[in-house]
This record gives sequence, structure tokens and C-alpha cells, in this order.
Amino acid sequence: MRKNYISIAAALLLIALLPSCRSEVNKTLIITGQSSHNWMESSETVKQILDETGLFRSKIILTPPKGEDMSGFDPAFMRYDLVVIDYEGDQWPENTVTALTDYVKNGGGVVLFNSVNSPLASSFDSVSVTRRTEFEVRTVNTDHPVTKGLPVRWLHPDDVLTRGIDPAGEEGVLLATASAGQGGRMTLPVMAARTLGEGRIFVTMLGTPDEEGSRALHCAGFITTLQRGAEWAATGSVTQELPSDFPTAAGSVVRSGFKAIDSHEAFENIASYDISQSTKYFTWLQTEIRKASGDEVRLLELEKKMVEVLKNTTATAEAKRLIIRELSWMGSDYCLPVVKELSSVEELKDDVDFALERLQ
Amino acid sequence: MSRTKTSRRTFVKRSAAAAAGFFTLPVIIPSSVLGMGGKTAPSDRVVIGSIGTGSQGMSNMRDFLKLGDAVRFVAVCDVDSARLLKAKETVDTANKSNDCRTYSDYREFLEKEQLDAVSLALPDHWHGIIYTAVANKKLNVYGEKPICRTIRDGQAIVAAVKKNNIIWQTGCWQRSQAHFRKGAEFVRNGRAGKISHIEVGLPDGGKGIGTPPVMDVPPELNWEMWLGPAPATPYRGVCHWNWRWILDYSGGQMTDWAGHHIDIANWGTGMEYTGPVEVSGEGVYPPEGIYNAPVEYDFTCKFANGMTMRVANSSRLRHGMGTTWYGDLGWIHTNRGNVLRASDPKLLEGEIGENEIHLYKSENHWLNFIEGVRTGKPTIAPIEPGYRAICTGLLGEIAMTTGETIRWDPDKEEIIGNPRAARLLSRPYRKPWELPTV
Repeated sequence: MRKNYISIAAALLLIALLPSCRSEVNKTLIITGQSSHNWMESSETVKQILDETGLFRSKIILTPPKGEDMSGFDPAFMRYDLVVIDYEGDQWPENTVTALTDYVKNGGGVVLFNSVNSPLASSFDSVSVTRRTEFEVRTVNTDHPVTKGLPVRWLHPDDVLTRGIDPAGEEGVLLATASAGQGGRMTLPVMAARTLGEGRIFVTMLGTPDEEGSRALHCAGFITTLQRGAEWAATGSVTQELPSDFPTAAGSVVRSGFKAIDSHEAFENIASYDISQSTKYFTWLQTEIRKASGDEVRLLELEKKMVEVLKNTTATAEAKRLIIRELSWMGSDYCLPVVKELSSVEELKDDVDFALERLQ
Repeated sequence: MSRTKTSRRTFVKRSAAAAAGFFTLPVIIPSSVLGMGGKTAPSDRVVIGSIGTGSQGMSNMRDFLKLGDAVRFVAVCDVDSARLLKAKETVDTANKSNDCRTYSDYREFLEKEQLDAVSLALPDHWHGIIYTAVANKKLNVYGEKPICRTIRDGQAIVAAVKKNNIIWQTGCWQRSQAHFRKGAEFVRNGRAGKISHIEVGLPDGGKGIGTPPVMDVPPELNWEMWLGPAPATPYRGVCHWNWRWILDYSGGQMTDWAGHHIDIANWGTGMEYTGPVEVSGEGVYPPEGIYNAPVEYDFTCKFANGMTMRVANSSRLRHGMGTTWYGDLGWIHTNRGNVLRASDPKLLEGEIGENEIHLYKSENHWLNFIEGVRTGKPTIAPIEPGYRAICTGLLGEIAMTTGETIRWDPDKEEIIGNPRAARLLSRPYRKPWELPTV
């Protein structure tokens, strides 16, 4: 009897600890080695995209090359919180496929990245791709944790769409589609989420690398949905916020790297802004202000950073102008003396008048 | 009738000739000069001028010209000389003359012209000043929606229109289409039951243009005057039509269309002279570029009676564009393209009975205005419902900008308990521009 209590206590302790272990870093295995696309580039990119969130620590392993003996390919899926499959090629041994299926059924997470002909993928006989172009993605499910809050329509650059796939399968949820063909008459699925037993599978068909580069892989929309989809597959929920540069119907967004804008980068670039540059850092600032609604501490923190730009003698007048416009509605008494002082700067006088009319 | 008209016109001309030296301008005497105070004008032609001769201004002009003898355009005003010239040509062709007068400054237009009415179609950021100034001149107005760029502008315009007791028609012409009226009438008479929720679908935003380089202002455009009270900014090739994607001048598709489908929604529920008590929602803003108005938007308004209204870009809504009222007996949806349908076709069967509520009936929005000017009869789209429709849109804009739930007092027309959001009720004007005193 006593032994039973101990077992129950131990089990409860384990359950209590599990989520906290999980919420830290998800051990991730990326499997590649054969594909119709440039898997060397894509797998490395996927690794960077996942690892830069701080939520994943990824390792890439390769299958045997095409046509070679697969029988020894038997990764220890159970050691990982997430398995990413960037693979289209020879069949895996049956016991490996069974092990992968069991892994998911027991709560494991899988991301199928551009993997049509691979275990867990659900495709029809004839699979083909469209020509490479920019296309509009439609978020068809905005309730799912992966796509919650996403624009309903957003543009994705230089990618191909795959025909003949059924990424959601029978039990899954279609998350996004895209239109291809003349006049967008063909609607194809591009993202889906499935559950299998206790586990989850996120499928994305976006981000196919091409010969010359990978603008599609640098799309802020692809990066964000991959990161969110991976988190959902690994943990069942999504903690990552939507970045300020998520694309919209207004245009696609290609990042130079993979990172979202952070505070340091934003304020540094805001200070040196001139009118020929992109306004993306101001959009970041406006997004942060909106997110901080009702949080006076965070708002003051942002206001202080904005005032620093106003005080910065090397910051451009254009930067100060846009900062003053934001402060005009969200600023507190804290910014007032600094804003007033700038009325002596001829090129900012109108903007200071604008702000003071609201602030005083 | 026609004989009376002819004789009256002859009388006008004779009077003008007799008063030579006094009535040198204009040649066509406005009916208001005849001592009828504009509102009770004789059945002579309504003498009218246009301020703003862009696509909407010209579209309205063409609709007025279709009324034939009922109106006579005598003056046009625009800050773009090329557009002004085209407008003059259109008027002169219609008048078979060459005497349409042109102005590049609305102040001179208002000082020199003696008119019965003015047709106004300007970028939203100019509405506050010019709508108020024209009302203060006691000129009757056909004014484009949205009534205002800010709630404070709107309040001033409404006050000016009321104080000066002018005839006002908002350019929300959907009211003069039979199927919109029928839809609103069915709802008003309870065919969908008690309305608990409304969905208003407005267009999605379109593609941006990034950050184009600064360039020379075209010689025909007075950019400084076009900007007027808006913040000074260099010209980047964006002005006519596309101003509506830039927040300094407009609120994007949402504010552009709020004056149509929100207005129809309010018409159906009879909430035309009030507003929501709470508004919250989210916008999707372009990540960068000079087009900074939201390309998607989704906000919900709560009314004092518990009813809710969701306003969103049409891709987010089950019925897409248009107005859908949901009641306990079903839903009724109406949209452009003669769309009037219901969850059960039976809801739309039969006519509105004699003892039921009949909404104001107009079959031609522009003629309805001209009749109002002639007879003093109220128009189908007076100032306040137009203002209340955009006011709801602008509260949505404030909710989306701040990320907060906005509480609104629709009687006092003030934001409650949120000084930060309340600052967004106005957009301060660049000096020396200011809102005319009402």
C-alpha cells in the first residue's frame, strides 16, 4: 500500500515537472538527406530559424543517400521533444516508420517541412509544383494556436506551391491555403495541423529553397509560422508573439537574416532614420506600444527609450519627428520637458506644436 | 410648371440686368438671393459649385448634371490646375457656355461666389475646416463621406450645420437604393426579430508601395495647399486617390467605407443618432512603407441595449461585404449589386404594411438633395447619421491604435476614463490652419 503511495507521488511529481522541463528548450532532431529541393540549404536554415527562438536546440542528421541501404536508419526519436522532417526520398525501414508513429502517438511532436514523399506525409499519387512566384496566403483558421492573430491575407515571395497533397489528412485542420494559376483560380493547401494519439504534427509547404537563394525561406511569414508550428508540435501551445514585420496583403517581407526585430536593433535604427529608409522600426515601436496597453511600466520603459532618441544629438530630425508624433498620444509628463525643448529646433516646430496640443 | 419656371428665370435675369453694377457676379443668380433663404428656394435651378474635382467630385458633378435643368454649375475649385481645367470643361460643355469660374483656393471661392449649394469631395483631412467654413457661409452642402477624419472635426461640422440651419446631404448614396432601404425597413419592422448582433463587412486593404523617393511636385499641383492642416511632408508621388492609405489623411478602407455600411446598419436598427458604449478590436498594419493604414481590421462595438456590431474587412466575415443584421428570427444581409437576402427567404416576403415603420424613400440621392435645397425638406442623409457612422469607425480606429477597450459616452460624445485614448479624438492642425469657430 505504502509503495503505491510513493509511486503515485513520484508520478505526480513527474507530471508537475514535465511541463516546466518542456517549456525550456525543446530538443529537436532535424532529419534530411534526400529531397526534391536543396535540402542542404533548407535543413541548415530550418535549424537556424528554430534555434534562434531560444525554444529549440536542434541537431541535423542525414539519412543514407538515395539508393543506398536504409536498413540501419533508426533514429532514437524518443530522446527528442520535436522531430523535423525535411525529407523526400527512399522509403524508411518499416520499424523506423513504426517507431516514428509510436513516438507521435505517445506525445511527440513532428514538423513536416516541404516533405511530400516521407513518413507521416499524406499525399496523392501525382504531386507537382507550380512555377516560382509571389503568392497570397490565406489564413483559413485563425483560432488554432499556430495561426491565431495572423492576418487573414498575406503575401509570400518567390516560392512554389505543391499540387496533389492533403497535408491536413482526415483528422487534421487546414490552417492556410494559397492561390496559384492565372487569376488565382487554383487554391492549394500550404499549412496544416494534425494530432495523432497524444502527439501533434505541423505541416508546412512554404519555404522551398531554389538554386540561387532562398527568399522564400527568409519570408517573415514563413519563419514565424515555422517557429510557431514547431512550438505547437513540441508543446501543444504557442507562446511566441506575432512579430511586427509579419507580412500582410500590403506586401511580402523578406528578412536579411532570420531574426525578428528586437528593441536594441529597433532603437538603434530609429535614431539614424532618414526619409528614404524603410519605416519598419517605427512599425515595431507602434506594435510594442499597442502590446503594452494597460501596462504602465512597459509604456514608461518605451517612453524613456523614445525620449533618449529625442535627447540624442546625433539622432536625425526625421527620427525625432516620428517619435514626437507617437509621444503626442502615448506620452506622459516624463517626455514633456524634452518635447518642449525641441520647439526651438526650426524643423521640428510643427511637430512639437502638434504634440503639445495633445499633451498639455 | 415649365412656364412658371421660364417666367421666373426671366424675372431673375431681368432683376439682374436692372441691378447692373450691383449684381455683376454671378450672372446666374442663386435662388437664395431672391430672399427665400436657400431652404425655401423657388423652383428655379439650384446654382451650385464644386470644391474638389477629383474622381469623386467629378462623379458627383456628373450625377448632378444628369438632373438637367434642375441645377446649374457655375464655379469649381481645386488645388490641381489640370483637374480644375477638366472640371471647367465638363461644366462649360453641359452649360453650352464658357463661363464656369475656377478657383485654386476655397477661401476665394467662398468669398466671391453666391450659390445655393456646394458639392464637396475632398481628402478627409480637409473635411473639418472646409465643411465647417461652407456651413458657416450658410451654403447648402452635398458632402462626401466620411464626414470627418477625427471625432472633434465631426463634432464641429455637425454643430456648424445645425447652427446655420443648412440643408445637408451626406454622399452615402446607398440610402437612395431600394434594396438597401428595404433591408433596413425589414429590420426596423422586426422581420429578423430582435437584433442582437450586426456584422459590417468593408473592403480588405490592398498592396503597398514601400517607401518611394522624394520627387518634384508636378507643376499643376499646389502640394502645400493640398496638405493644408496635415503635417508637412515631402512629395513622393502619392496624392490623388491614394491619400486614403495614409493615416495623416484618412483611415484606409475602414474609414472610407464606414460611412456606407455602418450607416446602413444604423439605419436598420434606428441607432442613427447615437453610438456604441464600448469598442475594442485589432488592426493589421503594413510592416513598413508610406501606406500605413490598416489593411485588415476587426473591432466590435457594444451598444447600451446590449446589441453588438462587428466591423471587419470582408475576408474575415461569413457574408463578406455589406451589412448583416442578426436577430432572434434569423439574419438579413444587404450589399451592393442589389443584394438583399435572408437566412430564410420568408423573412423578406411581402411589403411593409401601412401601419409599419416606413423609412425615408429617395430614388436619386443627388435629386433628393436638390429637392431639399429647393423646398427646405430634410434630405435622406442629414448630417448626424453620417457623423455617427464614421464616429463608430473612428472609435474603432482609436481602439486599434491603442490596443485598448474604449468606453464611449454617445450622449456627451466623450471617451470615458482614458485620457491617452482621448488625445486621439483630434489631430492637431498645422499652423496657421485652424477649425473655423462655429
